[in-house]
Amino acid sequence: MARTRYIRKLKELRQDVTEMGAITLRSVEDVLTALETSDAALAQRVIVNDDAINKFDRKIEAQCMSLLALEQPMAKDLRIIATSLKMITDLERIGDFTADIAEEVVTMGKPIRIPVSASKFNELVADVKSMVADSIETYAQGNVQLARSFEARDDRIDYLYKDVVQNMVNALAQGKCSTETVADVASLLFIIRYLERIADHAVNIGNRVCYMEEGARRYLK
Amino acid sequence: MSGEIEISVKNLNLWFGNFQALKNVNIDIPKNAVTALIGPSGCGKSTFIKTLDRMNDLVDNVKFTGEVIYKGRNILNSDTDVVALRKEIGMVFQKPNPFPKSIFDNVAYGPRVHGIRDKKALNEIVERSLKGAAIWDEVKDRLNESALRLSGGQQQRLCIARLLAVEPDVLLMDEPASALDPIATSKIEDLIYELKKEYTIIIVTHNMQQAARVSSHTAFFFLGELVEYASTIDLFERPREKKTEDYVTGKFG
Repeated sequence: MARTRYIRKLKELRQDVTEMGAITLRSVEDVLTALETSDAALAQRVIVNDDAINKFDRKIEAQCMSLLALEQPMAKDLRIIATSLKMITDLERIGDFTADIAEEVVTMGKPIRIPVSASKFNELVADVKSMVADSIETYAQGNVQLARSFEARDDRIDYLYKDVVQNMVNALAQGKCSTETVADVASLLFIIRYLERIADHAVNIGNRVCYMEEGARRYLK
Repeated sequence: MSGEIEISVKNLNLWFGNFQALKNVNIDIPKNAVTALIGPSGCGKSTFIKTLDRMNDLVDNVKFTGEVIYKGRNILNSDTDVVALRKEIGMVFQKPNPFPKSIFDNVAYGPRVHGIRDKKALNEIVERSLKGAAIWDEVKDRLNESALRLSGGQQQRLCIARLLAVEPDVLLMDEPASALDPIATSKIEDLIYELKKEYTIIIVTHNMQQAARVSSHTAFFFLGELVEYASTIDLFERPREKKTEDYVTGKFG
């Protein structure tokens, strides 16, 4: 096999992006657990972990630039590098939103009280978590079929997001919230906005993986 | 392929004795564009361009079938005037090969062969050709010096000027920059970019980055077959064939 050193560097790149994806996913899972259990210490760890995600972002960017500058990658190799370079920005943004959610959990410091039905909120949380997990899976395995499911799943998340927001706004307007729950609602409005944005970044990753695997650019949004 | 076609090759097969060097090649070469031919050594790319100006005729035991349609005629026909053909379809070689004559006489050689004797007309052709090959400014004050005193890169551009002097339509370039340093190479590449406005260019290159830089279309040859022919961006960003993918990513062997 020719170019063994180059092939090893490409393999390392994919492993590092997958690992960055794994620690980002762990942050997402941890922050949602922290939110559910009102675990401020766990939320604090998520905030600290954002630094590790940012470090990966810088490390992988340098790896990509080195491959581009020194190895003249072509065809799928070129698409892997371009996808990785773009995807780490999505992961880094997911990390930022996760840390933002963690800040809200720390600020609230107690179990949240939702003045509306929790079922749609819980569904949204579960969907976002699985979308992030699947986006990393699509990259690691080159699973285009899985990536193609993101569009419909994101539509569902957008619907849930709008529905939950509307219900909370209605609860506020109808004076159903106590003084204490008003603050929780304000935090929750931020949190679900962050979750909805996290799902958008997962969709971006899916689109980039389709390009990486098939060469055609895919823009769903 | 959109746009005008300069040369249309249909079902081209070529043998050297019993060895088949080209296998059923079909390709349309676009007019006023640069087409790059890439592939490993022995893949048939040089043989292919030598077919386009009938240079393979000089090899013993050569035999071919198929058609190369240029200006409505099959140039593989036995009645083709190959001297006239090579005026219209000129070749630049890997190693610059100026004649051991003055710079002026190198460029004026072709027009003189074709009957131009008038000194003023020759002066004009020489100046226009040297300018066309982007070497005029470097040699205008020493046109009577020997061409052999020029650097390799200058010699190669002089050879291109020598071709332009006979007003061809098509320029065939067989590894035109492989013997040159990076600066001379980039001058040749800039020149190719300029020349495509008026000429159809077909370039054979081992340097894939060069193919990517200078051409609008790229053809990948392997073992005498045309494996893939596409726009250059498609061939290097999303090749259709596995063999092309392996070659352009350097994973052959």
